[in-house]
Amino acid sequence: MQETSFLILTALAGASLHGYGIITDVAQISGGRVQLKAGTLYAALDRLAADGLIEPDREEIVDNRLRRYYRITRKGAERLAEEADRLRADAHAALTRLRPGVATS
Amino acid sequence: MTDHNPLERRYRRWLALYPKSFRADREDEMADVLMQGADPDQTRPRAREAADLAAHGLLRRLSGGRFPSPWERAHANVMFPVRIGIALWLCFISAMLVGYHRGELWLLLLVPAILLHLYIAYRIRPSAIAR
Repeated sequence: MQETSFLILTALAGASLHGYGIITDVAQISGGRVQLKAGTLYAALDRLAADGLIEPDREEIVDNRLRRYYRITRKGAERLAEEADRLRADAHAALTRLRPGVATS
Repeated sequence: MTDHNPLERRYRRWLALYPKSFRADREDEMADVLMQGADPDQTRPRAREAADLAAHGLLRRLSGGRFPSPWERAHANVMFPVRIGIALWLCFISAMLVGYHRGELWLLLLVPAILLHLYIAYRIRPSAIAR
């Protein structure tokens, strides 16, 4: 799973969010490292929706513009949990191997 | 449309690069995202934002927004090696044409085809497909 998809799903795992809310939450989750642009965000949202991992939640009109909220689906939550477990296992393996070196350096 | 402020009008000009069908559903929503992210004194889209909108808008326009196709994405585990294989085969054909038949002109056709297959393979690479 691309990091962008992982971060968007993580943002939506907390609450349903609109586009700009996802951008700010992803920036916060990644410590400011990932700053999504609108075009990239909507390409990713379309991919995730096509894969059934997210879906539109509700809409509101603000300043005459449509604000659409998205939420994670059950399939999306399962997929995110699998990916998080995989990343945790990889990180654990890396840290386990690094610790002796780090301890002696 | 006419009462948008100058910055929003400029953003919408970049959004016009997206296909009409996409804009009918998403233009207002994306304009809202762009305007929320704008600085209070900002008057023009940032260069990176414009480049991002241009790239994604044109790609969506070229592909109809379904590129690679949903079928290809769904069968990525098979189509990824197939695309790589076709690209390698075309590389072999190119080398044969250039090496034995002075067929450099064929490269005008073959190189874009090779790049296209490699790009599709990149888009459906195993790590990019959310299973």
